[in-house]
Amino acid sequence: MAKEMIAMLLAGGQGSRLYTLTQKLAKPAVPFGGKYRIIDFPLSNCVNSGIDTVGILTQYQPLVLNEYIGNGQPWDLDRLHGGVHVLPPYQKATGSDWYKGTANAIYQNINFIERYDPEYVIILSGDQICKQDYSDFLRFHKEKNAEFSVAVMEVPWEEASRFGLMVSDENDKITEFQEKPKEPKSNLASMGIYIFNWDILKKYLIEDENDPESENDFGKNIIPSLLRDKREMYAYHFSGYWKDVGTISSLWEANMEVLDPENSGINLFDDDWRIYSRNSGMTGHRIGEEAVLENCMITDGCSIDGKVKHSVLFAGVKVEKGAVIEDAVIMGGSTIKEGAQIKHCIIAENVVIEKNAVVGEMPNGDKKGVATVGSNVTIGEGAIVGPDAMVSADVKGGDKA
Amino acid sequence: MGILFPNSYDSLVPELVTERLMASIPFASRYRLVDFMLSSMVNCGIDNISLIVKRNYHSLMDHLGSGREWDLTRKKGGLNIIPPFAQKTVNIYNGRVEAIASIIDYLKRQKEKYVIMADTNIAVNFNFSKLLQRHIDSGADVTIAYTKEDIPKALRDIDVTKKDLYYTLDIDGDGRVQKIVVNNKENGVHNVSMNIYVIERQLLIDQIREAYVNGLTYFERDIISPQLDKLNVKAYQHDGYFARIMDINSYFAENMKMLKEENINALFSPNPVYTKIRDDNPTRYADGSHAKNVMAADGCVIEGEVENCILFRGVKVGKGAKVRNCVLMQDTVIETGATVEYAITDKNVKITSYKELKGTESFPVFVEKRKQV
Repeated sequence: MAKEMIAMLLAGGQGSRLYTLTQKLAKPAVPFGGKYRIIDFPLSNCVNSGIDTVGILTQYQPLVLNEYIGNGQPWDLDRLHGGVHVLPPYQKATGSDWYKGTANAIYQNINFIERYDPEYVIILSGDQICKQDYSDFLRFHKEKNAEFSVAVMEVPWEEASRFGLMVSDENDKITEFQEKPKEPKSNLASMGIYIFNWDILKKYLIEDENDPESENDFGKNIIPSLLRDKREMYAYHFSGYWKDVGTISSLWEANMEVLDPENSGINLFDDDWRIYSRNSGMTGHRIGEEAVLENCMITDGCSIDGKVKHSVLFAGVKVEKGAVIEDAVIMGGSTIKEGAQIKHCIIAENVVIEKNAVVGEMPNGDKKGVATVGSNVTIGEGAIVGPDAMVSADVKGGDKA
Repeated sequence: MGILFPNSYDSLVPELVTERLMASIPFASRYRLVDFMLSSMVNCGIDNISLIVKRNYHSLMDHLGSGREWDLTRKKGGLNIIPPFAQKTVNIYNGRVEAIASIIDYLKRQKEKYVIMADTNIAVNFNFSKLLQRHIDSGADVTIAYTKEDIPKALRDIDVTKKDLYYTLDIDGDGRVQKIVVNNKENGVHNVSMNIYVIERQLLIDQIREAYVNGLTYFERDIISPQLDKLNVKAYQHDGYFARIMDINSYFAENMKMLKEENINALFSPNPVYTKIRDDNPTRYADGSHAKNVMAADGCVIEGEVENCILFRGVKVGKGAKVRNCVLMQDTVIETGATVEYAITDKNVKITSYKELKGTESFPVFVEKRKQV
């Protein structure tokens, strides 16, 4: 039974600019917003847009991601025909290959896509925070009789040079593609979300694979080839919230923006476009007698007896009496003990911050680093972790990092 | 295999069961009473569980669905909700004997050797494995689980004409039950039955058949009690945490006990308690909010003052609102400046701006589902 459109979600990236947070974790599995992981956004977008077949291409450290996806049931992608499928690189009769690039990853899974005989394929990125209706994107693609469409976002002209830019005419037809140019001709940044007619995609993937000079990348190879052959290419304007959370500071910022839905543009409290995730199964959170909470987000299973201001706490976080937390993102299962001072930082999963330790500092003039403590680390009693620190191993009591 | 009776003691909490039954009464911010018995059974390896319902069971069916969240969507066994037995007319059963008689054919076809039966008015993390092992080791015909406590006033106040009975047990040195007293009105500590029984399936079938034919109604009163010399009935004490819901006051009090960390830890361990998932986002405590001594589930937005409260999923407390000593069920909305004290609000209740609603500790005000104040 053929599907109209299936989704291929690129989730193999390392996210190296997240350092300790992605040491053992693929970037799409990085926790976000109290109870989600980054990949929940593209997955929920798919199911909310009516796409019920999603291939997730994994490569880097996929264990946590694979276990998290499971059979896809939390996203309603546990289907008889279709559903979610995790696609790691695999061995074939003629040998095996890691995914060499974004296009190569899709190329190696042509057989998977053929099983559903789709008319269209949407290529998604697993590392962006974005609420998007892909069915509207498909409607645009069909209206324009496009063979290839890319979702683009307007960015400030001063920033345009940082992005891959699409230059288009008044009909949204793409005339040129500029990769991080010194002199931008457009301020429409590619979001890395593409809709292809399947036959076109297949043709260009095969052609690209047979080119030994190619880097097998969509942006660097496939799109220029399409342009060269004057294919029907269109740019779909997206104007909602979009955040690439590839750096520590952007990840921290995006989490903080969740606390301010009225102004930041990201509203997780939207009943019409639910973001699904795998639930922790913990009880409701408990706020104690002496707890003081100001502008924060608390998830199930938390136990709060200290002061928490302008922070996002994930499931099962324990904050003891006398602990003071501000501007922080504290991921699941971590414990902050009495007297600890946690400021302007990211604390990963299952971390223990012992009594009176200090992590991070509130921004002060030039100093505005976001301290980061990696998962399963213990910060000893009275230890101090500076605002620019990136901690991935235990810090002994009294030490400085 | 397990059998649960979700309607037991319905009549004691009329306010809460107008459109639901005891088993689906919300508890502890994101659960329903049935979740505790169900999860305890599943965690102890019991995966063939039947719920014999009587009336108002739509909310229970909606909550349980296919049983997936409790790991009970199985090919063999799993979750079975059994509505009133319908032959030529729908016959709502009267008493446990009739209830079990209505599924006798089903019972005969099962393969499990033992049956564990329970009501759903007690929230507890029960160790059914230990209970079953004790039953097998002792060679008893029936084992009844009990707690050692003062008979709760709510039970002692039960009208003698009400159909819900409670039992206290006289136990000898060997742990054998010598006497069962119905609706004991004495003061002091007694062995109060939890209405949890283990019995061999075949024995249960025989006993029920016999009892039904003789027009008997209640399991403990009519089958067990008269045969205490013939049957070897042993007792098993549960000494862990439990919350027995017997009236609106105990409902309020037991929820309030969940504000203490040691109680939460006691009730939710050693095994997790599963419940239906609603995919809410984490709760937001906005600027100007003030929360102290609160247990809240996901999806809430708190802008006002909340003290000593249990908040279920999706509760909204507006700016300037003051909410103290309340149990607010799912999606309750307390608007700007409202004051609410000692109240229990059912689902989707709205307390409009600046309204005042105050109950007292001994008389919490109850607001029905979807009502606007």
